[in-house]
Amino acid sequence: MFVAGIDIGSTITKIVISNGMEVRAAMITPTGPEHRRLAFRVMDDALASCFLSFNEVEYIVATGYGRINVPFADQQVTEITCHMRGVHCLFPEVRTIIDIGGQDSKGIKIKDGKQVDFIMNDKCAAGTGRFFEVMTDVLGVKLEEIGPMSLKSEKPASISSLCTVFAEQEVYLRLSEGASVEDILAGLHKANASRIHSMIGKLRIEREVAMTGGGAKNIGLVKAMEDRIGFPIVVPPEPLITGALGAALIAREVAARLTPDQLREKKEKRRLEAVTFFDDPKPGKERLL
Amino acid sequence: MSADNKKGLAKAHEIYSNRGKYAREQKNQGKKIFGYFCCYPPIELLTALDIIPVRILGDMEQPITLADNCLPPVMCIFCRSAFDIGMKGQYDYFDGFVGAHACDGAERTSIIWSNYIKTPCNFHLDIPHTTHDAAVEFFKEQLEYFQKELEKSIGREITPDKLRSAIAAHNHQRALVRQIYELRKLDPPLITGTEMLTVLIATMGMSVQEGNLLIEEVLQEIKQRENVQEKKSRLLIWGSLIDNAAFTELIESSGLNIVIEDTAIGTRPYWHDIRDTKDPLLGIAEHYLKEVLCPRTFRDSGKNYEQDSEQRFSYLKDFAKYWKVDGVFANIIRNCDIHGYEVPVIKDYLNGLGIPVLVIEQDYSTASLESLRTRFQAFAETIAS
Repeated sequence: MFVAGIDIGSTITKIVISNGMEVRAAMITPTGPEHRRLAFRVMDDALASCFLSFNEVEYIVATGYGRINVPFADQQVTEITCHMRGVHCLFPEVRTIIDIGGQDSKGIKIKDGKQVDFIMNDKCAAGTGRFFEVMTDVLGVKLEEIGPMSLKSEKPASISSLCTVFAEQEVYLRLSEGASVEDILAGLHKANASRIHSMIGKLRIEREVAMTGGGAKNIGLVKAMEDRIGFPIVVPPEPLITGALGAALIAREVAARLTPDQLREKKEKRRLEAVTFFDDPKPGKERLL
Repeated sequence: MSADNKKGLAKAHEIYSNRGKYAREQKNQGKKIFGYFCCYPPIELLTALDIIPVRILGDMEQPITLADNCLPPVMCIFCRSAFDIGMKGQYDYFDGFVGAHACDGAERTSIIWSNYIKTPCNFHLDIPHTTHDAAVEFFKEQLEYFQKELEKSIGREITPDKLRSAIAAHNHQRALVRQIYELRKLDPPLITGTEMLTVLIATMGMSVQEGNLLIEEVLQEIKQRENVQEKKSRLLIWGSLIDNAAFTELIESSGLNIVIEDTAIGTRPYWHDIRDTKDPLLGIAEHYLKEVLCPRTFRDSGKNYEQDSEQRFSYLKDFAKYWKVDGVFANIIRNCDIHGYEVPVIKDYLNGLGIPVLVIEQDYSTASLESLRTRFQAFAETIAS
């Protein structure tokens, strides 16, 4: 049975189409300004990549910031639950998840395969992907380079402020003092690890700990987190996809509980078409994203 | 349409939505209106002088534009908001203002109220922060002083009989509110959290007699209902107050039914009656100091952490048991220190009973509410999993 999970995050959109426990398609693409149009395009592309038609998909779960803007989804589930399910499927021994997203960060506690507690920061860019995006602009380096570069540092620069704006000022100050970009990056990673740690600490961190989201692709941040908590952290092979994977797992579970008639009824109501929040400039003509 | 043509829940909603209009109508009929800040000023003394006590609230829908010139922005945003709308003239119908040293934010706000907001007369009650005998005695003296000053400003005396009947009327209101809470034990509850909020806020702007009539109408109305809402996970709210229905609507549209609120617009002002004491002021002092369970008052606690938690929070265990609570939302208005510092111990205690706790420090603004939806939905999913 084919099912799909689609995770529209603030920055990146991910989709997983699976058949049983086998992933048939997985795609990752930037989230644009218009979630509804994007949801259609991503679904369409993912179906094409595994030669499926929309009608062959039995159940679709949407998650992430944009979950309410997936008109063809059968159900919406929060990204907290979906990340938990995705990580638990990949690493059943994980008890604590640290998810570093584009605009927020989260901690999730798992016990016996169920989430028991969570915490979220979405009020401030510190400890999120956005913090590092700002800093790469300041330092003139590429986002994917900052992790490996920071690991070359032997003397991390001192960054005391966790406010993105003030940290930026502090970076200019360190640069004026002659600190190397590597040392500054190491300092930034350390400061953020400390910030994330104090948030997740409220959940009482238990081993094993997994990191997901874009932040987990930053080796510098993962190492800084490991230094802070004092033991190794598990990182999935593709840390961006765990939410969509979890959504697909939930879709599979729900679909298995429904009768063929119920599934057919749901499918009949479902349309895969490009709907939009905005008026198209020329009616009938596909508006470019 | 005015509130007079409506009954029960519809009337409560009308008054909740137009508190200022309702109060001004009362004032035009010759009534005296006093504003009071938080649930500590003993409104029985106001009722005894036929003054209508109107609870001062903030407004989550309005950005703070004036108050930050007078109050530091690091303090409780609810107090700042209440002060802000006061400065904007939205409480200009008050004949008097009664503030209290409930928490530090309420104290600062009360002390400077007369500097910036020209209410004809101002009172400030110094309420001790412990429940020892000496504290009760001190508070009673404060009340005697408050009574004298009130009598002077109104030009009439409060006779012991008048005070006793005011206490009886307010105790009756407490009993009526508890009757509504009884109907929330059912699953699904007969009244939503949003409706409850509008009823309580409406009565907090009415004379006790009118308020009691309203609650009686509400009770009659909801007793005849069936399945007014779906069955959902049952939520207890603990912490800072919620004074806007947009917030409770957000919660109740995220897969949760609010069944009981241990907050200042919830059980706290209503859960215990004032005892009939020889000196009525003693009963009042004891009630407000010992039985209104806001963490602004330190209560005698046990010898160790476990005993302390048990003594201070076992009432929450009872709420959880009898209202069949599935989860607790600890609501912290940003910079509410008195609730914030209780969070680790409350969470520990409730988790120990197997009850999950969602802690949110929120910005007291309807504009920032929607971003909390994911947390409430995820919490509902946590409970259901």
